[in-house]
Amino acid sequence: MIVVRLERRVATPRWIGVAVPVASVFAALVLAGVFFVLTDRPPLTVYSEMFDAAFGDVQGVKNTLVSATPLVFTGLAAAFAMRMGLYNIGGEGQLYAGAIAAAGAALLWTADLSTPIAIAVVFVAGAVGGMAWMLVPALARALLGTSEIVTTLMMVLVADVVLDYLISGSTSYWRDPLTIGFPQGKEIPDAAQFTRWFDARITVALPIAIVTAAIVWFVRNRTSFGYGQDVIGDAPHAARYAGISERRTVLVTLLVSGALAGMAGAAEIGGRIYKLEPSSLRLGLGFTGIVIAALARSNALGVLVAAFFLGGLRNAGQSVQAVADLDLPKSVALMLEGFILLCFLGGQVFSTHRLRIVRREPARRARASAGASS
Amino acid sequence: MNDNAWIIAIAASIGAAIPIALAAVGAILHERSGVLNLGVEGMMLIGAMAAFLAADAWGNVWLALVCGVLAGGALGLLHGVITISLRANQIVTGLALVIFGTGLAKFLGEPVNGLKRPVKIDPLEVAGLGDLPILGPVLFAQDVLVYASIALVVAVSLYIYRSRAGLALRAVGESPAAADAQGIAVSRVRYVHVLAGGLLAGAGGAYQALARAPSWNQEYTINGLGWIALTLVVFSNWRPGRALIGAVVFGFALRSQFTFQTEGIDFPPQVWLQMAPYLLTILVLIVTSSPGARRRLGAPAALGVPYSRDER
Amino acid sequence: MTDDTTVRPDSGPGAPVLAATGVVKRFPGVVALDDVDVDLRAGEVHTLLGENGAGKSTLASVLCGAYQPEVGTVFRHGRPVELRSPRDGLAHGIAMVHQHFRLVERFTVSENVVLGDPQLGRWLARGAIDDRVASVAETFGLPVDPRARIHDLSVGQRQRVEIVKALYRGADVLLLDDPTADLTPQETEALFVTVRAMTAAGKSVVFISHKLGEVVEISDRVTVMRGGVVTGQVARVDADRHELARLMVGRDIDLDAQQFAAGSPGSPCLIAKGVTVRDGEQTALDAIDLEVRAGEIVGVAGVSGNGQRELADVLAGVLAPTSGVVEVNGQPIRSARAARAAGVAYVPEERLGTGLAPSLTIGENLLLTRRRGALVSRSAARRDAREIIARFEVKAPGPDARCRVLSGGNAQKVLVARELAGDGQAPKVVVASAPTRGLDVGAIEQVRALLDDARRNGAGVLLISEDLDEVLAMADRIVVLYRGRISLEADRASADRGAIGRAMAGIA
Repeated sequence: MIVVRLERRVATPRWIGVAVPVASVFAALVLAGVFFVLTDRPPLTVYSEMFDAAFGDVQGVKNTLVSATPLVFTGLAAAFAMRMGLYNIGGEGQLYAGAIAAAGAALLWTADLSTPIAIAVVFVAGAVGGMAWMLVPALARALLGTSEIVTTLMMVLVADVVLDYLISGSTSYWRDPLTIGFPQGKEIPDAAQFTRWFDARITVALPIAIVTAAIVWFVRNRTSFGYGQDVIGDAPHAARYAGISERRTVLVTLLVSGALAGMAGAAEIGGRIYKLEPSSLRLGLGFTGIVIAALARSNALGVLVAAFFLGGLRNAGQSVQAVADLDLPKSVALMLEGFILLCFLGGQVFSTHRLRIVRREPARRARASAGASS
Repeated sequence: MNDNAWIIAIAASIGAAIPIALAAVGAILHERSGVLNLGVEGMMLIGAMAAFLAADAWGNVWLALVCGVLAGGALGLLHGVITISLRANQIVTGLALVIFGTGLAKFLGEPVNGLKRPVKIDPLEVAGLGDLPILGPVLFAQDVLVYASIALVVAVSLYIYRSRAGLALRAVGESPAAADAQGIAVSRVRYVHVLAGGLLAGAGGAYQALARAPSWNQEYTINGLGWIALTLVVFSNWRPGRALIGAVVFGFALRSQFTFQTEGIDFPPQVWLQMAPYLLTILVLIVTSSPGARRRLGAPAALGVPYSRDER
Repeated sequence: MTDDTTVRPDSGPGAPVLAATGVVKRFPGVVALDDVDVDLRAGEVHTLLGENGAGKSTLASVLCGAYQPEVGTVFRHGRPVELRSPRDGLAHGIAMVHQHFRLVERFTVSENVVLGDPQLGRWLARGAIDDRVASVAETFGLPVDPRARIHDLSVGQRQRVEIVKALYRGADVLLLDDPTADLTPQETEALFVTVRAMTAAGKSVVFISHKLGEVVEISDRVTVMRGGVVTGQVARVDADRHELARLMVGRDIDLDAQQFAAGSPGSPCLIAKGVTVRDGEQTALDAIDLEVRAGEIVGVAGVSGNGQRELADVLAGVLAPTSGVVEVNGQPIRSARAARAAGVAYVPEERLGTGLAPSLTIGENLLLTRRRGALVSRSAARRDAREIIARFEVKAPGPDARCRVLSGGNAQKVLVARELAGDGQAPKVVVASAPTRGLDVGAIEQVRALLDDARRNGAGVLLISEDLDEVLAMADRIVVLYRGRISLEADRASADRGAIGRAMAGIA
């Protein structure tokens, strides 16, 4: 009998770090290509159209940057927790909560404010909203050890209900009272609507996202706190030995993670939607953030790259609808994202393990003599 | 108060409960083997889409149902390959599966988006009993899948708690090392139950598309039913019987708003009713966090942990 | 000495039921078993006696199929067999009861016992299964309730379940790995009754232990191991505790010559008063009073599991005592941070996982106890790591190598260097637990030299070691820890090896 076994690599060659992701994307494109062929679309044409739309020209890159901006925040939110072995699955809900808080604060306070202060109000409110949505899961995890995976997920579903309730289920402060048949959110004051740059939806949210990524990178790699996260994630006993408080570190990490996801909501309200609008917010940005963190292996700078890549994919999905003879739905982006993710996750093991083919025969001998002796 | 409206509401919440219950029972089998399944939503969507496409193509409702079940199973198998053989992170893989399933279902279902369902699963009145007061409409005027689902829950309960294979399943989910030491093939047990989870999630999705949603709508046909099923798994403490009861209660909470409205009742407000399942589940999790409670209740002990004999 | 006591496995009637010859087993950096022979006869209790790291458990793991030796053969009833997994071992009627049980906590006793039994029916007939499990247990005088759940059972009861599991599957060779480690005296007595019942029924037992007293009580034969080789074999009739202790602790070959000059103690720098640690019913430390003066090494001798780990953790502030106080130069120690601030360096017993974070690099691991303030510099840590690698000849690919890839000895060099070869500040107090266990001779010398340096530089050193030679070679004063109490205290000059050995074994 021939058995294929996975064996842990003694040393990881340098080329593996590049080859595995590249091979994963290639495999994904081949597999997705099968579905394009099945639906009578030439895969290579689809891919070249999508690549052009996302990265082919200046306008494409601009749109990609716009799509990538909220993903940076949600990606950082997931990565910040994931690197120490915590899973904030609730980025989506914290994003909604951040959006609710940002829109509320903008409506309440920013009408008479100067632009920079209004921007600060929107982002701080978003962060506070996201953090508040994380409060119960974070406390439960830090004090009682309750798994954050399910609690954060439940909070997404609660946020989803609240979001609908505020706009279509009630006459809340967020709802525009003039809309009745199709209820909509109240538009936030001009001061809180981020200025558009470069003839695109690029706003101040993009530099803020990049700076946030840099700060997160710094905290993770240059501070005692970030170091403590590494130790707890790897060896809780070593943390105890070195006097690093696990409880405090877990609490702070989860709250910051929630705040980062909340900032994505703020960026969406101030930079793109300008009002609380459930259908515009429900893009799965929070869930994609978790995937981005996994692609980036929880590295803050890697999050920028992965967000740019997936932002490009989403942007391409939007743009490629316009190509008439391909007749592609928007969902092509989501499907490709799925293929790439699954191939990447499945391929990960090959960066730490290698396949070995083992021939097995003597097993029979052991069994046979076992029979004889019993 | 109009009794009739309430009877109709309860009868309807049983129908509403079936897709969730099927997916939840599948996820229970899946997770009892120690593999976390966050991908239910994706599996249900794929199942619904495949069933609808098949119904559209061939016009046979039972063939459509089988297609939906198999499509969900295929996604389950994929989950198994990635998490069991390739030992990927089960949490991220589950979420990736939701993205994949949603994307693929929307992509392949695009041509039929908005179409009315061509065939449907019809209610089946149990001879004579459908006319009974109260019990008639609630229990005996449902379609055949409702009866089949209830039978399935009983069968799965017996399987988990009373069969030799169920004992092995629970051992693998609790302590793969102990199971391995006693000669149980951990990976094989996991594969079988991950596949079962996919098949049943596919069945739930197919039922939703064929018996409940009047047309295929890529946004609304499934719309979160998978997440509700997952909530049920935790809420029921990984027990199929409780999951079925929970599904009926959740089904009632989720659709009773109309009845409350038509009956002119203001309380409880709809928003609380809708949030209640999730808030209750969080509460249950927090209450059962104590070390004492955790010994008896809660997730299978090895849930989410890949197993490999050499790398313990 | 091994030649005349080793029995070659011959076939035919009267052959040993299980034997192994010429077994060699290596782990990275250590030879765990070096040409070991052992045999087991029907109906006997054969004990493997030795200190931690002597190779007893490794040998048992080879005998049950958990490890495959590089060289050597296992014989069952005189015929060579290849055991490639515990499953193969079980098929040959060989079962091992691990020190860490393999039980499903939420299952009942009988569910655990019948799990994986190929002869079990498709459906579980609970009543019949419970009866069958109870009858197997009764045969050997093992009182267990088949319906009880594992998490409600005591350690001793769980162990009984493991034994019933083996018996239910028809095993006639049982390997018990340190079975009395966590048992109360009453439970130990009950275990011995069971062992005798099993041997009376013709089954054979390999008993692994480092406790002299019980070994003499239960064994038919004793094989003493030390550093991966067999140092002697004694039949029960000849068993003499003093002789066994000598074989077990032995006389170190090279290192005996290396005696360290005594220190010149100053004033007390580490003081523990009435330190008690209780964990539920168990008392790990019982009102310990201890004083270490600046410039001296106090050696704590004793067999592991007698409170050493807890003592070290309490003195380093990692574990809060149930009662009692610890002071370093007048400062009360209530946390690991406070201990570090007072100048305590700590080399814990568990290197990888406690002293070092396995997935972090060598450089990053230096930061574990060398951080100051809110910022850390990984590049500076990398420089320090490079320096340590060069100075202590650490065999590592570089400062960015993860600690898990290092061999035991090299990991220990990094750990000890971090704690002792300080970044400017010399430690005032050093707590070192088993600092040379499992290391090769070169590494042992380096670690001991660092401890000696710390003493010369005026630190108070507490050296906790199972290696009595090490304690005698280095310490100015010696205390023996037995069951959480200090059973003997002696100056180096007046230390008598025999008296210490008896105190370690709890022979008054």
